[in-house]
Amino acid sequence: MPSDAREEILSRLWSAPRRGVSVRPALPPLPDLSFGLEQMIDKFSSDLTALAGSVHRVRSRPEALDRLTEVARQEDLTRVVVSSDPLIASLDLVDWGRRTGIRVFSAADYGDRDSFRRAVFDEAQAGITGADYALSESGTLVLAHRREQARLISLAPILHIALVPVESFRPVYESVTREVFEGREPVPSQLTFITGPSLTGDIRGIPFRGMHGPRRVIAILIGA
Amino acid sequence: MREVSLLIPCLVDLLLPEIGVHTLRLLRRLGVRPVYHREQTCCGQPAINAGYRKQARKAARHLIEVFEGDREIVSISGSCISTVKHRYPELFEGDPSWRARAEELASRLFELTEYIVEVLGTEDVGAAFEGKVAYHESCHVLRALGISEQPKKLIRSARGTELVELKQADLCCGFGGEFANSFPRISEAMVKEKQDRYLESGADLLVLSEPGCLLNIGGYLSRHHPEKRAVHIASFLAGAGTEGAN
Amino acid sequence: MRPATKAFKAAADRELDDLASRALLSLFLQYGSAMRERGMGTFPDPAAALELGAAIRGEVIARLPELLEEFERNATARGARVLWARNAEEACALVVELARERGIRYVTKGKSMVNDELGLNEALEKSGVEPIETDLGEFIVQQLKRPPFHIVGPAINIPVEEISDLFMEKAGMKAPSTDPVELGYAARLFLRGKFRDVEMGITGVNMAVASTGTIINVENEGNIRFSKSSPRTQVSVMSLEKVVPSMDDALHMLRLLTRSCMGLKITSYVTMDSGPRKEGEIDGPEELFIVIVDNGRSRVYADLKAREALRCIRCGACLPSCPIYGKIGGYPYGWIYSGPIGQVLNPLLLGLGETRDLYQACTLCGSCKASCPAGIDHPALLLEYRARDAEGGRALEGGKRRFGEARLFDLWALAVRRAWSWNLGARFLRSILNRNQREGVISSGAGLLSGWFLCRDLPALPRRSFHELARELEREEARPE
Repeated sequence: MPSDAREEILSRLWSAPRRGVSVRPALPPLPDLSFGLEQMIDKFSSDLTALAGSVHRVRSRPEALDRLTEVARQEDLTRVVVSSDPLIASLDLVDWGRRTGIRVFSAADYGDRDSFRRAVFDEAQAGITGADYALSESGTLVLAHRREQARLISLAPILHIALVPVESFRPVYESVTREVFEGREPVPSQLTFITGPSLTGDIRGIPFRGMHGPRRVIAILIGA
Repeated sequence: MREVSLLIPCLVDLLLPEIGVHTLRLLRRLGVRPVYHREQTCCGQPAINAGYRKQARKAARHLIEVFEGDREIVSISGSCISTVKHRYPELFEGDPSWRARAEELASRLFELTEYIVEVLGTEDVGAAFEGKVAYHESCHVLRALGISEQPKKLIRSARGTELVELKQADLCCGFGGEFANSFPRISEAMVKEKQDRYLESGADLLVLSEPGCLLNIGGYLSRHHPEKRAVHIASFLAGAGTEGAN
Repeated sequence: MRPATKAFKAAADRELDDLASRALLSLFLQYGSAMRERGMGTFPDPAAALELGAAIRGEVIARLPELLEEFERNATARGARVLWARNAEEACALVVELARERGIRYVTKGKSMVNDELGLNEALEKSGVEPIETDLGEFIVQQLKRPPFHIVGPAINIPVEEISDLFMEKAGMKAPSTDPVELGYAARLFLRGKFRDVEMGITGVNMAVASTGTIINVENEGNIRFSKSSPRTQVSVMSLEKVVPSMDDALHMLRLLTRSCMGLKITSYVTMDSGPRKEGEIDGPEELFIVIVDNGRSRVYADLKAREALRCIRCGACLPSCPIYGKIGGYPYGWIYSGPIGQVLNPLLLGLGETRDLYQACTLCGSCKASCPAGIDHPALLLEYRARDAEGGRALEGGKRRFGEARLFDLWALAVRRAWSWNLGARFLRSILNRNQREGVISSGAGLLSGWFLCRDLPALPRRSFHELARELEREEARPE
């Protein structure tokens, strides 16, 4: 019976001798906790750039679209998959795609997992998402995966472009997890911390980017 | 006159007694009266390392009885001191009264350079050696006891001496007591590495604080590079550096 | 993986003779330690950070059953299915059944030491499900049917020509290449096809957060993200000590893990799963199974000393810190866990009698302990195993007491209690060893200490020990000037 295993394991653990817990030392706070917005942005940018990522800064959404157009041109993009989070939705990328001659598709265009998977794996040259948070601590983007933020969009295509409102900047990991796990919104099925490209050194220690996930992360920061 | 009791490791007693003599000489030069209890034998480390705790306890009880009347005790082996400080408590786990006696003794036990620099408060012991010296950081001295600056300060204060960098100074030399005999090929690879770093350092002399390391490195040098010397820091500071230890 | 722990010495000798492997290891030792130092240096107070890590893992050990129950409760509340397995057979049977029920033909796997421990791949293959390792290094060694060279870089020692041949044969690569980047790209293309159509992904778990019911995985490649998010079913297997009390604790351990392991502030990806996908999500697992595995750990837990080994977070920092690992690499340890943590864990999970060389082959230098973010005292544990083994303890399946050696130490114990017996013993030892001395140097022991004399000399034992010299010095001092 499956519950036998549970009972046996737990009863063995419970009947073991008990010992007290040791005192935890105090830690000095991470420097990021005293940063203002511009400092967080600077640190985020230099960390992500050091990981072969690119960081762009624009003041408004229209400027963001212009910058996106430039990036798409530089990267020769003709087919992109986009998420449907509020920021991305507000940019109307389908319309942008029509204007720039880029085919834009999203999860809503597919009725089921398998057809979505085929599109995201085989057709998309880039995945464009918003970002729930950007972290100064390590040049990290955080995505909370919900219906409007499908997981594979930021993973399968070889390029990941993230549009990041500056309001989403936070200093350290705890600032994010407290909001996500103790806030009023339901906890997402998956929370992903993305720091730079997919990477491996498994062959002779030589670095290779884009092992399974994107080869590059491009962040377009939006806000004055 | 200040008195200090000497804890002489068994390896020094049997194989390197001159280091003990150098230690006596050095302490006298510093105005301290060294006392040597002839009843001492061995701290028990070989038995503990081999897993023979019952037998080790016999050595430990004897050591405690020999030394517990002393106000201050100094030793020239980090591993012996570490045995008393860190291994005796678990050895006497089931015996609170011996455990308390062991802990009390441990609080009055010092490593030589620690004693000179921190208790006697001096960095210049009148040592002299013309040449370059490299210092090997023995595992128990460095990691178990946290002693590293003290021996280096003493070496730097020696007249004519230049302390040069030893790469990977804190890498274990491969002694480990019985290890060197039971896993000889691995031990050999480790001691060879230590020798190579010594040779690369350009030092004229290798100084270290642990008799076991000295036997190991010195023994390897004797077989492969007999022209290069290694000495215990007690010998170096006492002015016996140029004689070497082999 | 079948244990080969009894072949430690022979395997170590082979590795010592492999000069290419030794050169690689030497690089790894220096690089690994430097990376770790640099990573730890990004903490404002590295020592306090290590101490907090030790305190957190200590709390996990102290509260293990209650934390596991809390985790199960919260994970279940989020829609995950939590299953328990007492041993490898049970765990494999569970996973195989999940695959069978769902008509799974192949699974993609993230690197997981516990899954290797369970022999999960063999069990899957036997039941007709193809397990595909997708971490690049694991993929390579899986296809080559070779054990991993190292915890973090399982295939790092394999020559590019061999990988090229392998990829042409098994990964659809069209033309040969010795460029690691081209080879990496070929693997990307091949494994991508597997990820696209996969129906069940199997991962390990780096941390299971009790207070939120969340499992956390860290990786650099993205294969774990794929294995979690592409298929309809996710199975994540954790050994029971992987639980941590709170999310804050998990984040601190995460910081320590990535710095200790690779000198990184964070890995490319960290995913935190709280239940399966929700209504309306197009990807992500419809079912999330979390398998909690015992496999000998609850028995270890019952032992107050041995249980300290369960603190381990599998960061691997102890490997590049170990001067012995630095000479022999991972193979001689003979099982999933190598280096100092292998010396500490394998004896507990396989029995002291099967792993004697593993806890004997250590100089107790303490470098591992100094590098450990979980507060494990490896030297103390190894000494404990040696004592249990010498005493013939049953609890950890120690071997029989070695009669001759024990008698030797009995003799030693007699000698050590009084100076006169000690001095007598010293004279006896001197007479034996000095038989072979030449010009004050002993180069061979004629049978005694043959390991020592392989490459080293000893000074001839002086005619007078310090005991005897001291007596003279005393007399000198007492003589009137």
